[in-house]
Amino acid sequence: MIPLSYNLRSLTVRKTTTFATAFGIALVVFVFSAVSMLSAGIKKTLGSSGKPDNAIITRKGSDAELSSAIDTPNIGLILAPKEVARRKNGQSDGVGEVVVVATADKVDGNGVSNAQIRGVPEDVYEFRPEAKIIEGRKAKPGADEAVIGKAIAGRFKGFGLGQSYELRKNRPVQIVGVFETGGSSFESELWADVDTVRTAYGRDGIVSSVRVRLSDPGLFPAYERAIEGNRQLGFEVEREVAYYEKQSEGTSLFINILGTVVAFFFAIGAMVGAMITMYSAVANRKREIGTLRALGFGKGQILFSFLFEALVLSLIGGAIGAAAALAMSLVSFSMMNFQSFSEIVFRFEPTPDTIISALIFAGVMGFIGGFAPAVRAARMPLIKALKE
Amino acid sequence: MTLFGLAARNALRNRFRTGLTVLGVAVAVIAFVLLRTVITSWNIAAEYSAQDRIATRHKQSFVITLPLRYVENIREVKGIKDATWMNWFGGKDPKTPDEFFANFAADAKSFLTVFDEVQLPEEQKQKWLEDRQGAIFGSSLANKLGLKVGDRYTLSGTIFPGDWVFNVDGIYTSNRKSFDQSSMIFHWQLVNETLQGRLRDQVGWVASRVDGPGMGADVSAQIDKIFDQYDTQTITMSERAMNLSFLGMFSAVLKAIDVVSIIILLILTMILANTIAMGVRERTSEYGALRALGFTPGHIRYFIIGESITVGLIAGLIGVAIAWPLVNNGMAAVIEENMGAMFPYFRIEPTTIAIALLLALALGALSGLVPAIQAGRLSVVNALRRVE
Repeated sequence: MIPLSYNLRSLTVRKTTTFATAFGIALVVFVFSAVSMLSAGIKKTLGSSGKPDNAIITRKGSDAELSSAIDTPNIGLILAPKEVARRKNGQSDGVGEVVVVATADKVDGNGVSNAQIRGVPEDVYEFRPEAKIIEGRKAKPGADEAVIGKAIAGRFKGFGLGQSYELRKNRPVQIVGVFETGGSSFESELWADVDTVRTAYGRDGIVSSVRVRLSDPGLFPAYERAIEGNRQLGFEVEREVAYYEKQSEGTSLFINILGTVVAFFFAIGAMVGAMITMYSAVANRKREIGTLRALGFGKGQILFSFLFEALVLSLIGGAIGAAAALAMSLVSFSMMNFQSFSEIVFRFEPTPDTIISALIFAGVMGFIGGFAPAVRAARMPLIKALKE
Repeated sequence: MTLFGLAARNALRNRFRTGLTVLGVAVAVIAFVLLRTVITSWNIAAEYSAQDRIATRHKQSFVITLPLRYVENIREVKGIKDATWMNWFGGKDPKTPDEFFANFAADAKSFLTVFDEVQLPEEQKQKWLEDRQGAIFGSSLANKLGLKVGDRYTLSGTIFPGDWVFNVDGIYTSNRKSFDQSSMIFHWQLVNETLQGRLRDQVGWVASRVDGPGMGADVSAQIDKIFDQYDTQTITMSERAMNLSFLGMFSAVLKAIDVVSIIILLILTMILANTIAMGVRERTSEYGALRALGFTPGHIRYFIIGESITVGLIAGLIGVAIAWPLVNNGMAAVIEENMGAMFPYFRIEPTTIAIALLLALALGALSGLVPAIQAGRLSVVNALRRVE
């Protein structure tokens, strides 16, 4: 076999060309990995908002909390079935909440955007034990106080600890605490007392949705029958996990389509770049190839040698690109979620898959780009090659 | 033969490599044009919005409605020519519940006056105004749903529960680029009659026409001042400002597309620079001979940059020639049908073409720059001695 160091050294001879080609591939891999990390981030943020043993009840046909309305007296009916888990004090483990999307000014003065405001009952921390105050304190029930999710805190005017945000004219709420929920989309919300939000936005007597914890995820079909069976109520029961999957669909599809189209075009560009480089490497080293053949190395070995060189070249690029993409995980990305029409903060989520697929992607580009030049090198007639 | 002709001819010496380069750069140009078109089409809604139209909505949240009587109050404001009102309906096609299209309930008569870009044949217009259950569809939407005048169409409500059956009374076209042809509009009264209590007589937003394009700001301020005393406050802005604020919510995505389109330019430069650098290296001894014949370093630089500009420009022309029909005759129809709400008019702008060609030219020159400077600096003796 031709020593692999032959190829590695060849790459260092033409530094500029090697660098240009590897850099081109690095850019492609960077975009490709950044897109897949963002899409993973969206899935994680919205995916971790749902829990397998939770169910969400909305009005039939309203495909999101935002457009749903449930009369307050019906909350009791929803919490009553025996499938709903009980707390220590014997009460059903469930909450009725009001969700509103409100405009807020961006802190950098770059216009306005929408933020999700959730009216929560006092026992919300019992229902969502993962919600923890990390700064300040909980809001007093019934008071005009609110807590703000970690991800969105400070991103809008009035959304910082100690500041106040006007739900409507003369109805300000004081931000008394910052909470986290382990990276889920709740961290992009403002939580105020359910009654305060209801009155401020003219939603008296209704909640947007009711969420319940079932004593066992397997009880879901039974619970669904119990609630949806009563057609007069006109409610729809969904697993919380499925609900949030639906919420992330639009945005993550958009990102994926855009990313795939871009990666496709970029990949063609990078493959052409690799091909040009390898063809010229072959053309410039005709005499070397001839010598190698004369020394007794076979056509297959020449083919393998040049393919190996192309692969190394593209993998260097791939590694640089993937490393740059990994650095993106330090950045959080605030974006409109298409389903809820409010701003949600996402992160670029690195997964082992991202790295592996980035390297495979780079390798495939190198292989395709290097194949035809390697074949040309292998097929070169010995005499002609030596004569050069 | 002119000097530039000689430079351009150099590109043909290694036809295969030049061909590959042109292919790679052309693909990059296509991708660039595509991405720019996404951005320009996205901005079209704001750019072409009516100068003399203003919209009034709830101050804090677009999901909360205004009382119907506000329309009369607005009509009384000096400087208002006419006002109309509408509600977002948010219905889905029961056969394809995952697909989004815009549908809203409006006051038909005033809607057609305020939005005079909505064009309907006279008999369809009369029919719609008289038919309580009638609806009009944008031509792209009608095309996609396969509807023609006289058909019946069912929409299932999300905000307003139940199945709603409509008569297809008209198919409109729009003679303003900012108004999409993929919406469905029907009578607000039909929806309102089914509502009770505080849900009745509510409007999503009020759109009005002012007497002159310059009056929008004054009239808007006046309207908001009136309702500041009322229970529900409003925010009024020009149609342009409203569209801009909507676009602002997606600023992160637009920024990402911007970054990606710059990366593609970098890749394009890499491919081109790589090719030129290789050609120059191979011809080093030739440049020595030219210098010995009396050509100046300036001539050498001219040859190299002339070659790279030629390749860049040819590739740019090919890319544009492919992108133009691809977008304007192929993708445009699909995108306007499926994503009309976001891209009411998806076409390549002539300025995009000009920018793409200029960039191909400029980046062509840029990628020839470094090799040209280096070749210009070579001493005659060294250049002649170098054999490769």
